[in-house]
Amino acid sequence: MSNLAPIIDARDLSRVYPLGDSAVVGLNRVSLTIAPGEMVVLKGNSGSGKSTLLSLLAGLDDPTEGRLHVAGYDLRNLSETRKNTYRRTVVGMIFQSFNLLPTMSVMENVCLPALLAGKPYPETIERAGELLDWLDMGARRGHRPAQLSGGEMQRTAIARALINDPALILADEPTGNLDSRNGGLVIDLLRELNRRWQRTVVIATHSNLADPFATLQICLKDGAITDSTCDR
Amino acid sequence: MRSLIFFLRVFNWFSLRQVRQHPWRAATVLAGVALGAAVFGSVRLAVHASLDTFGRSMDVVAGSADHTVTRPGGRVDEALVVRLLAHPAVRAASPFLSTYTRARDGSGRSFLLIGLDPILDRPLREWQVAHGSGEDAKWVRLLSEPYTLIAGAALAASEGWTAGQTMALGHRQGTASFTMVGQLVPEGLATTEGGRIAITDISTFQEFTGTIGAVDRIDLVLHSAPTDAALASLTALLPKGTMLQGPGEAKRSGQGMIRAYALNLSILSFAALFVGMFLVYSLVALNAASRRRELAILRSIGASARTLFWLFIAEGAFFGLVGWLLALPISSFMTRFLLAGVSRTITTLFVRVNVADVALSPEEIAFSLGATLVVAVLAAVQPAWEAMRIAPKEVMAAASPVYRTGKGSRRLAIAGLLCVLAVMPLAGLPGYRGIPLPGYLATLLLFLGFALMAPWGLQRAGRRLRPALRRHAGLPAHLAAGYIQDSGSRTAISVGALMTAVALFTALVIMVQSFRHTVEIWVDQTISGDLFVTTRMAETNHVWEPLPDDVQTYLQGLTTVDLAPDRRFNLSYDGFPFLLEAMDFQAFDRYGSFFWLEGEPRQLMGPLTAGEGVIVSEVFANRTGLSVGDRFQYQVRGVSLDWPILGIVRDYRTRGGVVFCSLADLQQRSGGMAWGGVRLFFKDRQAADGPALERVQEDLHLRFGDRLDMFAGRNLRASVLKIFDETFAITTVLLLIALVVAALGITTTLTVLVLERTRELNTVYAVGGSLGQIRGMILWEAVFMVTVGEIGGLLCGFILSYLLVFVINRQSFGWTFLYGVDWSALAFSLPLIVATALMAALPAMRVVYRVPPATLLRDR
Repeated sequence: MSNLAPIIDARDLSRVYPLGDSAVVGLNRVSLTIAPGEMVVLKGNSGSGKSTLLSLLAGLDDPTEGRLHVAGYDLRNLSETRKNTYRRTVVGMIFQSFNLLPTMSVMENVCLPALLAGKPYPETIERAGELLDWLDMGARRGHRPAQLSGGEMQRTAIARALINDPALILADEPTGNLDSRNGGLVIDLLRELNRRWQRTVVIATHSNLADPFATLQICLKDGAITDSTCDR
Repeated sequence: MRSLIFFLRVFNWFSLRQVRQHPWRAATVLAGVALGAAVFGSVRLAVHASLDTFGRSMDVVAGSADHTVTRPGGRVDEALVVRLLAHPAVRAASPFLSTYTRARDGSGRSFLLIGLDPILDRPLREWQVAHGSGEDAKWVRLLSEPYTLIAGAALAASEGWTAGQTMALGHRQGTASFTMVGQLVPEGLATTEGGRIAITDISTFQEFTGTIGAVDRIDLVLHSAPTDAALASLTALLPKGTMLQGPGEAKRSGQGMIRAYALNLSILSFAALFVGMFLVYSLVALNAASRRRELAILRSIGASARTLFWLFIAEGAFFGLVGWLLALPISSFMTRFLLAGVSRTITTLFVRVNVADVALSPEEIAFSLGATLVVAVLAAVQPAWEAMRIAPKEVMAAASPVYRTGKGSRRLAIAGLLCVLAVMPLAGLPGYRGIPLPGYLATLLLFLGFALMAPWGLQRAGRRLRPALRRHAGLPAHLAAGYIQDSGSRTAISVGALMTAVALFTALVIMVQSFRHTVEIWVDQTISGDLFVTTRMAETNHVWEPLPDDVQTYLQGLTTVDLAPDRRFNLSYDGFPFLLEAMDFQAFDRYGSFFWLEGEPRQLMGPLTAGEGVIVSEVFANRTGLSVGDRFQYQVRGVSLDWPILGIVRDYRTRGGVVFCSLADLQQRSGGMAWGGVRLFFKDRQAADGPALERVQEDLHLRFGDRLDMFAGRNLRASVLKIFDETFAITTVLLLIALVVAALGITTTLTVLVLERTRELNTVYAVGGSLGQIRGMILWEAVFMVTVGEIGGLLCGFILSYLLVFVINRQSFGWTFLYGVDWSALAFSLPLIVATALMAALPAMRVVYRVPPATLLRDR
């Protein structure tokens, strides 16, 4: 693995949020390299910078300093259009609060990123159907998010994250709103994505559920990487 | 194509389903848009139906004539027809006469009687008689049998006439019996006046109206395109005072008179649509604000900012389109109501129109749809712009951030102030061809300026009043002031909507009241007289005929009254219609007076009576650019007139301007000129309204039968004011609809403000605020918005009223009036608007806590 070009390469990455006359440091000169196919667990307390790092990796936010290359994209020098393409094709994002669109059915939520990427509708429907079947959500494809349980919503979000076949899966507290059984199921799915489908998975979490499967664990404190073992 | 299908699919999934989830909210907005679009569409349809009918009538009456021979202020010698026909350039020439008359025993409605030569007229106008089985051409009977006529289908139907029937028609010469010999096929000339016409032979017409040997005009068809030399030799044939002109002169002049009225009505009807724009804004803004997180999700999974922008633009367009479709049935009802009102007003004030039906032209449908869509889309631009700026990283936030845009209000206020300051210089620019473009632009700037100052006004009001409110009105008022202080553009735009409606209301109340007050004074002073006597149907026929000699002689013999005779000519000055009114200044001055704008009345009466000058109406001065000191030069009935203008007076006759000259001087210059009408003033002023007046009326009726029209001065003055009130009835209806739409806007706006802050309000509840306190807070917010909206609207309304009175009216109609504020009307109506606006807050207050607070406070 280490011989391959890194999928994530960050150097002195910082994100500072201005707050009136002062500033809040979200991320402070973080450097890291992640090879393709790794299963990374980002750990740290609230406010440690996990979500900030994930936002930068997802192309949702811009660093204020440093360099960030993901899958060949220089995220500091990306036009808005290229950033859209990046979000559509390179990353798949899974959130703690699922973030499904309430007016759309399960199937429509899953299809949306592919349609945004310009893929034909019949092909998209077929691929979404396969994913939902794989996630045991086939029977729920016509339901709206409000009609689903937490576990079902998160499986729908996983299907949506996978619809464009992204190289990088980013999960922000994916088990945070789930009971332990459903939380375990979600971590199993992410592990399978990593092992069987060779996807790079980065999970930001408080929980220890993913620890046994992590190929790399990164600990953050006050916006900076501390060391290889994380304080609990 | 694929991207369009994709967009429509996402639009359905994301936007339309949201609309369906909140049907009442959508229904309120759609009702507002539909009402606005219906008012706008139906006013345009009614106005254009009247304009088109008038234009078509003039076209079919003009027929295929290339040129027309007329004699301003008089009739053309019939013998000229033969000379013109002999001219090598002339292919056809047809004499033409027309007058309005009415049947003695019928509906009482007047109709147009046309006198023409059925043979000479054939190449010019399209008309034919409906044939029964085996009958010969009935039009031949017009030539062979005197006092026969052929009636239009609508006329025959409404009067119940059939072929062979005899009917009595009245005119200045008295009453004559006509026999109907046939009915016109409803096409060409027979469609003019909605089919309420009849054709008779020219000689019958002349005998009936006492115009033997004279015609109104001679219509000509020339051989191909005439050369300048041919036209010059044709002109040389004409006697002095007779002229050759294009056939569209009357049409242009008539349309010119209606255009300003039509345009102002259209603009006013647009107000309802414009206020509807704020409604669309409110709902689209609500959707953009309340769905921030969903928008961030869309962005996080790859939707571009542009896609989000277009989703909201499409939402605006959707409201526009559906609102417009819903407006169609409302329009069909409204058009019927408005058509009657508009055509009646145009007929009363400007030119006679008889609208039979409304034709829906594709252009008109496209324009109405286009205007509604543009307004709805424009309303969606700002929310769409805000949606576009939502950062994808918001998707990571635990809760939607509270967005307030209180910053920059000072900058906006300065921009607003600059707009308001630019209003007066802009309004001072001249209008373009009777269209007050600078006035309209100034009005738009005024609305924009006040809307831009609204955030600053709200901020200042919130900041200044907050401490006092805490002490005197309690915590809810204090919190409401705080929210209003920081609320930014969202609240400001809603306040702007209210300001617009209040400003329109205030300005129109001031304008109508000022106008009415001025007209009352004008009517009392200028339309003085105890009895007005004219020839039969003189007003309908534009005071064309002089009073019969025996009437004049008899009137001169009356000892109990003073007479103020006059003679009027409907003329045109550089294409602008005006009335030359020759009058006895001295007699008039004893009982009435002019409403002077320029000139010293006491010093001018002498020179005016002596024929040393004329006075002109304000409309005439504004339209022609002539003023005191300039010379009025004109030729009427072959008499050259050249007088200095000595003064300018107010006059509110709607068929153009007026030039007042001395009747005695005109009679001297023309070698005698009969009276056209006369005002009678009782020497004993106590008798003016009593039985003495009735005795004179009865006496005149017994002596001269139905050859005269008589109006008691009191009735005439009352009818002028009645017409005034009827004219503004349409305006009032349009204004009320705009206010209803504005009230709907307040409901939506306040609901938006509550829904936007659901989490905030529930936090207040969670930390101990009672339901009553929170509802009180929303009510206080409404009070703030309505108060600032009303004060701003009032200020804006006063400036707008000045624009309406001194700029838009002057540029549209040529007149101004005495500016006066009817405080009692405002004092009565403005609190009503406040109450209505506060009532509109009730649905918003009901929205609070429809969902349990715990659910809302929970992380999504």
